[in-house]
Amino acid sequence: MLKIENLKKYFPVKAGFIFERTVAYIKAVDDISLEIKENETYGLVGESGCGKTTAGKTVIRLLDPTDGKIVFDGVDIAKLKEKDLKPFRTKMQIVFQDPMSSLNPRMTIGDMLSEPLLFHGIAKNKKEAEKIIGGLLEEVGLKAYHVDRYPHQFSGGQRQRIAIARAISVKPSLIVLDEPTSALDVSVQAQIINLLKRIQEELHAAYIFISHNLAVVRFISDRVGIMYLGRIVEEGDVDQVFENPMHPYTKALLQAAPVPDPRKKRERTMLIGGSPNVINRPNGCFFNPRCKYRMKICEQEYPEFVEVENGHKVACFLYNK
Amino acid sequence: MPDRKEPILIVENLKTYFEQAEGTVKAVDGVSFDLKPDEVIGIVGETGSGKSVTVKSIMRLIYPPGRIADGKILFKTDEFSPGNPQYVDITKLSEEQMTRIRGKHISMVFQDPMTSLNPMFTIEDQMIETIMFHRKVDENQAREIALEMLHKVKIPDPERRLKDYPFQLSGGQRQRVVIAIALSCNPEVLIADEPTTALDVTVQAQILELMESLQKEFHTSIIFITHDLAVIAEVANKVMVMYGGKTVEYADVFTIFENPIHPYTNSLLNCIPRVDVKQDSLSPIPGQPPVILNAPPVCPFLPRCNFRTKRCEEELPGLVEVSPGHYVRCFEEIIEKLFVSTRGGQK
Ligand SMILES: Nc1ncnc2c1ncn2[C@@H]1O[C@H](COP(=O)(O)OP(=O)(O)OP(=O)(O)O)[C@@H](O)[C@H]1O
Ligand SMILES: Nc1ncnc2c1ncn2[C@@H]1O[C@H](COP(=O)(O)OP(=O)(O)OP(=O)(O)O)[C@@H](O)[C@H]1O
Ligand code: SF4
Ligand code: SF4
Ligand SMILES: [Mg+2]
Ligand SMILES: [Mg+2]
Repeated sequence: MLKIENLKKYFPVKAGFIFERTVAYIKAVDDISLEIKENETYGLVGESGCGKTTAGKTVIRLLDPTDGKIVFDGVDIAKLKEKDLKPFRTKMQIVFQDPMSSLNPRMTIGDMLSEPLLFHGIAKNKKEAEKIIGGLLEEVGLKAYHVDRYPHQFSGGQRQRIAIARAISVKPSLIVLDEPTSALDVSVQAQIINLLKRIQEELHAAYIFISHNLAVVRFISDRVGIMYLGRIVEEGDVDQVFENPMHPYTKALLQAAPVPDPRKKRERTMLIGGSPNVINRPNGCFFNPRCKYRMKICEQEYPEFVEVENGHKVACFLYNK
Repeated sequence: MPDRKEPILIVENLKTYFEQAEGTVKAVDGVSFDLKPDEVIGIVGETGSGKSVTVKSIMRLIYPPGRIADGKILFKTDEFSPGNPQYVDITKLSEEQMTRIRGKHISMVFQDPMTSLNPMFTIEDQMIETIMFHRKVDENQAREIALEMLHKVKIPDPERRLKDYPFQLSGGQRQRVVIAIALSCNPEVLIADEPTTALDVTVQAQILELMESLQKEFHTSIIFITHDLAVIAEVANKVMVMYGGKTVEYADVFTIFENPIHPYTNSLLNCIPRVDVKQDSLSPIPGQPPVILNAPPVCPFLPRCNFRTKRCEEELPGLVEVSPGHYVRCFEEIIEKLFVSTRGGQK
């Protein structure tokens, strides 16, 4: 359904006061390839700033890719012009990480939700839109009387559910979910995840699920990709990756996950060194300055992304001899 | 040296209401806790249970049609009586007095980092402005402090980041900038509303470490709101559990995790998803969430509670101190039964 090949998104870094010029690039997404089938959830995990949101936005063409292919239902949409993209717009939706910034502060929830319904002809008139919206709000656990309120009158978790309602309202076939449950308590989180699963069955939609909550990623994803500095360093079925993590970064991540027990303290010194610098990435394997298994070759070459077991790929010299 | 025994902040039966066309939203309706120097209190509870409104009330950031309807927020400070710290009631301060408290003595990291950053200004401008407003430093010193704080929150390449606009940062980077701003004035109380949800687990660990070291160094007290119970288990000394605008249980962190009594606390702990095991389903707490619009004066957990009795439908239970420092909002005769059921290992 969705096939991404060698996708790149670079942001120029400018300098100079009078004559601005590009002095370097932030390679936010640097050569990512992945495939998602309908009905499948691809979990995307990785350090803050490694390029997950940029990847998600580029895939649905909210950002123009620097290079690469995005094959959506058999069509490469990577280079399509805005007017040719229109038929794809309803099919691809995103729930943003920062719900407040994606909701128009001057629009009521009702207006915000009815706009896309009317625009894309999903509802014929206001009345029909209202009915659909009532159902949607109910589904995400809000009330029909909430339609007349403005975003600032809601709690963080309520706003996140409004963003989810808006994304599913147009019945898309691909949804990028960027931290969709981070502002929710565990009970509502469970409810929303169950809802997302149910909608997926209904629409046969594919999800790209970005989250720092490894427990949630483990639960909802079929496959996961671990990103580090713009590249995917490990990928596989969710159980393969969580039960048999291979890349030293994946291992560190899993070990750093906090556990709900006040008597257990997690290992906080797991990752030596500060967060990496996106502009001056290290030579060789990007993870090498922090890796305790570092070998000579790791400082010279970038490891190839190879399949180690069925469908389980990793970019690390420990597995690539 | 601050007095270790006397709380720096005491919140007593706080009530904050919003008047809406459909009726009164009792967002906060009976919240009590206190905070001593050096302490970290975790606030947990359902989405919409009033956590953010509670802390916004402490910052006096409630605007009409909202109002603090009842209760006290006592803060110990020498801002108005130099050298001689005294309790002032924040609910009664003038706006002018409040600007001397906000940001300087009590600062806050908001849930939505974008709302506290101005999209039109660079990170540098915003940090320098805040620092110069609260501390007696010139622009160069303020820039030094800003840089040092960005280093402390582990922003890679901070010199360059200072020149960036908020949209050029990733979600987690923005969050760290906001934390850096809040910490740059060495507040006595730091309020952090979901400060680490946008961060991956390794950066999260670093930020928590940073908060802990600041707390040791400056005796900062912290109010920490998060849905991540694993984080609460890691950082908090005590925990207040909220439901439907009310404090329903309040105790030290070990008691909350090991011997919780309130039925809501028990249900909450039962739905934590885990990384270390494969789960086939996640179970939300069954039943309807509480009504907070024109809420009836009964226990908010009533519609979902398996232990409810006739009395629960008629009266509102108060906070009962079941053992020193452990408070539960439920009726005494029921608490006794809950005691047996939770200690008997059935839950
Ligand atoms: N519009 C932009 N202009 C310049 N740089 C950008 C822009 N958007 C993102 N970046 C940079 O690209 C990198 C990747 O950002 P991105 O938002 O994709 O990270 P992320 O993986 O989603 O992180 P987080 O988990 O913190 O949200 C970051 O270094 C960020 O500063
Ligand atoms: N300005 C406002 N006007 C009207 N109602 C409001 C306003 N701000 C908050 N509320 C309502 O008050 C209740 C409590 O909101 P609050 O933001 O404190 O919840 P919360 O516990 O922080 O939830 P979350 O975990 O989702 O952030 C919610 O039902 C919300 O809709
Ligand atoms: S390639 Fe080398 S440095 Fe990179 S993760 Fe593997 S062992 Fe570590
Ligand atoms: S007061 Fe009644 S309804 Fe409320 S928690 Fe106790 S038993 Fe349950
Ligand atoms: Mg992001
Ligand atoms: Mg909140």
